[in-house]
Amino acid sequence: MTEPMPLILVVDDELPIRRFLRATLQDDYRTVEAGTGAEALSLARQYNPDAVLLDLGLPDLDGLEVVGKLRSWTQAPIVVVSARGREADKIAALDGGADDYLTKPFGAGELLARLRVALRHAARLPDAQEVFEFGDTRIDLLFRTVTRAGEPVHLTPHEYKLLVTLVQHAGKVVTHNLLLKQVWGPGASGQTHYLRVYMAQLRAKLEVDSARPRHLITEPGVGYRLRP
Amino acid sequence: MTSARNYMGALGVVTLASALAGLLRAQLADSELVMVYMLGVVFCAARYGRGPSLVASALSVAAFDFFFVPPYFTFAVHDTRFVLTFAAMFVVGAVMGGLTDRVRTEASHAHAARLQAERQELRNVLLSSVSHDLRTPLAVITGSATALQERRELDPATRAELLETIRDEADHLNRLVGNLLDMTRLESGGLAIQREWLPLEEVVGSALERAQRLLGNRTIQVDLARDLPLVPVDPVLLEQALFNLLDNAARYTPAASPLQVRASYTGGTVDLCVADRGPGVPAGSESQVFDKFYRAPGNARGGGTGLGLAIVRGIAQAHGGTATVHNRAEGGAEFTITLPAPPPPSEAP
Repeated sequence: MTEPMPLILVVDDELPIRRFLRATLQDDYRTVEAGTGAEALSLARQYNPDAVLLDLGLPDLDGLEVVGKLRSWTQAPIVVVSARGREADKIAALDGGADDYLTKPFGAGELLARLRVALRHAARLPDAQEVFEFGDTRIDLLFRTVTRAGEPVHLTPHEYKLLVTLVQHAGKVVTHNLLLKQVWGPGASGQTHYLRVYMAQLRAKLEVDSARPRHLITEPGVGYRLRP
Repeated sequence: MTSARNYMGALGVVTLASALAGLLRAQLADSELVMVYMLGVVFCAARYGRGPSLVASALSVAAFDFFFVPPYFTFAVHDTRFVLTFAAMFVVGAVMGGLTDRVRTEASHAHAARLQAERQELRNVLLSSVSHDLRTPLAVITGSATALQERRELDPATRAELLETIRDEADHLNRLVGNLLDMTRLESGGLAIQREWLPLEEVVGSALERAQRLLGNRTIQVDLARDLPLVPVDPVLLEQALFNLLDNAARYTPAASPLQVRASYTGGTVDLCVADRGPGVPAGSESQVFDKFYRAPGNARGGGTGLGLAIVRGIAQAHGGTATVHNRAEGGAEFTITLPAPPPPSEAP
């Protein structure tokens, strides 16, 4: 017997968008749909979905409020959907417990990739991984070594911590604030220039062309994403 | 309220004129002291309008009488010749004030008329943009979608092509709407700049990533100086500006021609350039190309709203910088965003 397909709660007030989402998701997922925040919260309790796809611009409730209410009882990944230029909303949603975001308009491929990553992270057991690879870079998390095409790469302690934090969230966006907190401690919040300098160094060491990174991706105004 | 403040201003100006005349009285004849007051009256007319300038005229006569006509520090006059001076002083003051005020009003009417005309122009062009630029991609999308729906016998290659067209035109529409929104925000002053210290490399990387589909398989040569400092910029807006330059280059240059993205640091400013091998900008229109609704003559692929470069300039200026273009000696145009690069904050720990 095969496992049942994961259940996704799709929250968007626009019917054509829900129709497109349904069409995109139907091969790999089961879906339930909500058009308002209140409906979303009640369906979430009723169905306990494996993941939530949530548009932040809802007619009744603030999207951030929905994220907060969902997070008060479920760890199911939440991917928020928002317009370009609303970076502050995205950051607030991510810091409020959302796992990732999509910027409207987005394509089917992008949507499926985000959901896959979010579900994989939700299912993963802690400390399960010892080795992580992207491009020609290999990170041994047990022995704390990094090699590129077999050659050892020397990283400073901060660079290594930054890389490992991104690896732990591989495929997902990680906000500046979270990275600063994880790498430099709670006192460093707001000091994004530290982060950008170290990120540039990391790219110089691990990317073929640091001005056109393939793996250490910038999400402008929000954070970074490690694309395996 | 402001009118009360204007009258207070007129009083202040006359006081100042009296003080100045007092300082200069040893050097100047009486008729020249009168001129000092006249200057004050003209200033009042230009700055505060007709009423305050009339008051300033009257006050000037009184002050001149009080301070500079014997017997001093009274309004009494022994020499009747001064009465004529007073009358002339008041009339000249009032007439000059009136004339200056009229010039001022006319200038402000002309300004208002120009603003009105510009707004009308904006509205007209917006309407034509909406009707043409937005409808063209919509027409293509509708046409392609209905073709796919109704002609089921289409071969797979044609179907794929139509689907690709739908996607490209939707992307195009999205950029147009984005530009209209950005321009509206820039014009209404609703664009709040969120400065962060960042390496330009990061902006270049994310703009190129976003422009990937637009640029197709062009060769993009990226050349960033090694000594680039961190710059205090809004990462989202600057990315948008660079993206618009790339979009512009993609639209106006041959499909396979190479592009260069360069950044350099000289004397407290950084330059971020996009250089192409296209036809260049028409001679003499180097600053016009950044004007709203300007469109280069000749054919651009997938016409724009003529807003992209105006947004680039708006974003550069919002950062205290400039946007310029020149034609390269070896052919093609080079667009440059110049931004101030003040000393960065202390190094990371």
